[in-house]
Amino acid sequence: MVKILKPNKAVIVLQGRYAGRKAVIVKSFDDGKRDRPYGHCLVIRKDSAKKTAKKSRVKCFVKLVNYQHLMPTRYTLDVDLKDTVTVDALQTKDKKVATCKTIKQRMEERFKTGKNRWFFTKLRF
Amino acid sequence: MVAAKKTKKTHESINNRLALVMKSGKYTLRYKTVLKSLRNSKGKLIIIANNCPPLRKSEIEYYAMLCKVGVHHYNGNNVDLGTACGKYFRVCCLSIIDPGDSDIIKSMPGDH
Repeated sequence: MVKILKPNKAVIVLQGRYAGRKAVIVKSFDDGKRDRPYGHCLVIRKDSAKKTAKKSRVKCFVKLVNYQHLMPTRYTLDVDLKDTVTVDALQTKDKKVATCKTIKQRMEERFKTGKNRWFFTKLRF
Repeated sequence: MVAAKKTKKTHESINNRLALVMKSGKYTLRYKTVLKSLRNSKGKLIIIANNCPPLRKSEIEYYAMLCKVGVHHYNGNNVDLGTACGKYFRVCCLSIIDPGDSDIIKSMPGDH
């Protein structure tokens, strides 16, 4: 019995405003039965017409989600976000925005390197 | 599905083992709790009835694949599975958390 909802697991959000988005578990609280994925919304407009740097944008969110509203996948994404994403990041609006910005940068870097391709493609449904 | 020919004999033995688990072990019945037991990795064996809707069946199998927990497709529908558990309701999936005196876990996992 392997624990499946571990940090760095890629997950799909099932309910709520972010339903259908892919997310990564940053920290899981088993007792409070919530965990903290943060993730990546759509990749907007991967511009293939441009020859130079591809433009792509990643929108990020940080959220505490109940396990019931997540579907775990067999993919993982190892980005170290533990230092940036903490519980107090969710307390106030500006902290949340600030963490989202740092996450966004990391995510975009990761996207540009072309790794974890599954994570950065939109889930079609 | 790779299934050995389910003779009456093996079917009975699964029922016997299930009855023993019901008496002596811990289990949870029905979909929501099965998923919960998989999520906190308490489940050791999952049994799914054969008329479980295919989407639900594949979802449980996927979770079980992630947790490396065995899944057993019961040779009967949810009415039969409920009866085998000694309950008066239908059971389409159940999760065995603690087998108690039964050897269902040791003998079942080879049997997908």
